[in-house]
Amino acid sequence: MNDEPSGQAIDAGAATHAFDTFLRDDALLKVRDLSVRYRRGGKIFVAVDGVSFDVAPGETLGLVGESGSGKTTIGRALLKLLPKADTRVDGHVEYDGLNVADLSASDLRAIRSKLQMIFQDPISSFNPRRKVQDIVGEGLEIQGIRKAERLERVDRALNDVGMSRTMVEGRRPHQFSGGQCQRIAIARALAVGPELIVCDEPVASLDVSVQAHVINLLQDIRQKRNLALIFISHDLAVVRNVSDRVAVLYMGKIVEIGTGDAIYQRPAHPYTRMLLEAVPVPDASRKIVPSATPTQALSRSAPPSGCRFRRRCPRAQAVCAAQEPKLAAMPYGQFAACHFPHDEPAPGMKTAEQA
Amino acid sequence: MNEAANTTPVLDCHELSCHFRSPFGPIRVLHDVSFSIPPRTTLGIVGESGAGKSMLVKTIMGIAPEGMKTSGRILADGIDLSTLNEAKRRAFLGRKFGMVFQNPMTSLNPFVRVGRQIEEASRFHLRLGKAQAKALAIELLASVGIPDAAECYGHYPHQFSGGMKQRIMIATALACQPDLLIADEATTALDVTVQKEILDLLQVIQQQRQMSMILVTHNLGIVAGRTDDILVLYGGHVVEYGPTNTVFSHPRHRYTEALLSAMPRMDQPAHTKLHTIPGRPPDLANPAPGCPFAPRCPAAEACCHASMPPMTTSADGKHRFACYVPVQTGDAADTAVERRALS
Amino acid sequence: MSRLQPTQTDLVPGEAVALSETLNAAMPKTARFRMPSGHPMEWFAFVFLAVLIVSSVFVEFIPGLVRASFPYGDFSQGPEWSLNGLFGTDALGRSILSRVLYGARTTLAIVSVATLISLVIGMILGMLAGFYRGPVERIVDLYANSMASLPPILVILALISVTGNSVFTMMLALGLLDIGTYARIAKGGVIAQNDRDYVLAARAMGASDMRLLLREILPNLVPALTAIVPPLMAGLIITEGSLSFLGYGIPAPAPSWGGMIASSTDLLSRFPLLIFGPIVAIVLTVYSLNTVGDCLARRMNHRGREL
Repeated sequence: MNDEPSGQAIDAGAATHAFDTFLRDDALLKVRDLSVRYRRGGKIFVAVDGVSFDVAPGETLGLVGESGSGKTTIGRALLKLLPKADTRVDGHVEYDGLNVADLSASDLRAIRSKLQMIFQDPISSFNPRRKVQDIVGEGLEIQGIRKAERLERVDRALNDVGMSRTMVEGRRPHQFSGGQCQRIAIARALAVGPELIVCDEPVASLDVSVQAHVINLLQDIRQKRNLALIFISHDLAVVRNVSDRVAVLYMGKIVEIGTGDAIYQRPAHPYTRMLLEAVPVPDASRKIVPSATPTQALSRSAPPSGCRFRRRCPRAQAVCAAQEPKLAAMPYGQFAACHFPHDEPAPGMKTAEQA
Repeated sequence: MNEAANTTPVLDCHELSCHFRSPFGPIRVLHDVSFSIPPRTTLGIVGESGAGKSMLVKTIMGIAPEGMKTSGRILADGIDLSTLNEAKRRAFLGRKFGMVFQNPMTSLNPFVRVGRQIEEASRFHLRLGKAQAKALAIELLASVGIPDAAECYGHYPHQFSGGMKQRIMIATALACQPDLLIADEATTALDVTVQKEILDLLQVIQQQRQMSMILVTHNLGIVAGRTDDILVLYGGHVVEYGPTNTVFSHPRHRYTEALLSAMPRMDQPAHTKLHTIPGRPPDLANPAPGCPFAPRCPAAEACCHASMPPMTTSADGKHRFACYVPVQTGDAADTAVERRALS
Repeated sequence: MSRLQPTQTDLVPGEAVALSETLNAAMPKTARFRMPSGHPMEWFAFVFLAVLIVSSVFVEFIPGLVRASFPYGDFSQGPEWSLNGLFGTDALGRSILSRVLYGARTTLAIVSVATLISLVIGMILGMLAGFYRGPVERIVDLYANSMASLPPILVILALISVTGNSVFTMMLALGLLDIGTYARIAKGGVIAQNDRDYVLAARAMGASDMRLLLREILPNLVPALTAIVPPLMAGLIITEGSLSFLGYGIPAPAPSWGGMIASSTDLLSRFPLLIFGPIVAIVLTVYSLNTVGDCLARRMNHRGREL
């Protein structure tokens, strides 16, 4: 396997060895030090700042964060879908051993069929003036697959999502509901035979009942085809359900990354805790004691010195402003970038022992 | 304080129905919706898209779209709104009810300074002078947690983030000291941490000002722990109505039960299969006779498809649901009540 | 409605989907063609244009109509209720109606070809500018803005002095005029689509730039462009008419609307009705084109809202 660049400066000591183990050698997708900067109105905004992670075949990695965290930008950067103007992408993305940046145009097109994307708003992810069956077969047509085989693969993809060609024949996107459109979008991604699908908030605009269908569908397909998924979402409950591992993003950086169990039961980073506590849970016994805190203006082009979260963090101390924390190993196997990480279980969470 | 006045519901709806004409025939958006909100309580109105919850609160506020025909009675503080003429109704509603909308980006006028938008209501309804209105506006901005309220008074909406804009919207809604604050999906467009801040703020303000509140949302998690009662809508019908804790711990209507089990939970392990609700939302142009949820209900029987179930009331009189085959609680009193209702 | 509460009559996106499911259930598989919204003046516009186009193309076959160059009657006769005399006769005794129809053929042909030239070149320039941005966009903008700042008549006179007076020159000259407008509209439409999910999805499939432009983006430009073609054509008709009036159009004796007006100016005090025919033709044609353009623009807005 290829050597990994030792790009990121790592704290000396026990953390060094542990840090390397979350970046695995046999991963399908390796992202090292990915940065995305864009210029708007003369100022430079850093959307993604030195993010590293990897995804193994058949694994689901959840990317959670709020607006401004950079999670959507990461998804687009991986598929090279960012606008070319006024945007700068740095870092190293390796897919199946190949450095994505170094590929020729034709090789890049070949890789395109392996990496696909599903978008948030299903209806607007389709060209309103084209017919649905053309849309689903588009990827195959671009690859030059002949019509007979194309039709067969389109049929198979539609069947996998619980639809058939007769259902979609002759119809345009606006004639379908949100849930159906999302299923068609999944079929479109499946038709080209991908190995990894980036799902960018795929269920955010769907009702709860439809959401459940689509999530179950994704799970089925993932199992059947051994797909790797990068699941980008702000909905922590959904991410918990679909992900094997989870990365928590804040202002363009990964603040915590680990298995779903570790993140949800023993979150180490204060931001992760804040997110988990804020999630509304439909539980009868819940008793919420409201705290009215004044809000703060946060500037996106000038993040605070040291740890970016320190202004909102209840545990911040002087060192947090002076030195930016690096990702370090935590007792339960995850990695968190914090000078004062939590150690106790999250309140209200059942741990593996108690469950 | 006069005890009788204290118990008059802030809002009382009797059999409110709405429909509008379309090229496909009349589309009924709401059917016989009845509920009442006592003072100083919070009601959560939940439902998925197309259930009619947004249309319900817009009809109450009098801002339903053109062409919407309404029937039924709305009583605000005991006064029947249909007895008031257009101008009186507007004045009455503007003062008594405040509303916060979903999208803070579009609810504030981008060309008008924030302070002026807050003042408009108080100057019109309360007839405050310029200086008084300004002082009130600054005080409101501070009370909703905007830092440097005096300075922010002169800013334009685009200078604020989404969460701050929503706080400003809340300040606007509070300007006339309303008795009822309606939050129509007020936090849907916000990040989850900001959402918590705004919901906390609403709760604190409600307690401070002794108001009633309506939280309209599709997210059942939001109403848990923050509302006293909950009204569940499906296809324009009220399917369940009762105290939040009771409805969450013992949902009686099959739809409520299905909805609660379809939500992914953080305490369930990864890759848990979610319970789904088969079928599609009801066709509002061609409503089927009988219960609107019957086509999708796993427990539906012949009577469910044939006729609309009447409202059954639980033994303690507080929990109502419209179902022929409700979820059993194992409580003998409840079963007796149901058997009486069905016979 | 409370004056002070912000009105929000938009449906929450989820609700819009649920309602449109209902409405869409009744729609057939292919989209329905919708006729103009019933207003009689719109019907008139469509009918008039249809009649004009057909009769100018097949003018030779209209039974009983004399040729445009044929002096069949008395000089400068006023309009009467006969086919040839509907607009009267001109100073040489020729049927004005006939001349109007032959002139229509020429005018429509010139304006159609000119529009085609403008549209194609403008669309290409606009699409390239909007898709690639950067220096390409700057050059196209520069061209469009400078064309817009020059008085069209000057441009055309300059061209005519080089290539002489002919139908071809007119087509070319008029064709240059509106390139900037079409380019600007196309560019705007492309920029609006660049970040849309379906374009990203096609890029994720490996679509080449050419494919993106032609298969994904261009079809969505069609409504905006078709809506603006008729009014711009109407403008070209007026420009062509003005040029012919000034004597820079197609040389006599070929009939042209502007030329007919020009040759009648001397006699206007005595025979004011000589210009009746060409004026009616120009006014009605320009009106009809603008109205048809409005109809198309409205349909475009409706279609957009449906989504």
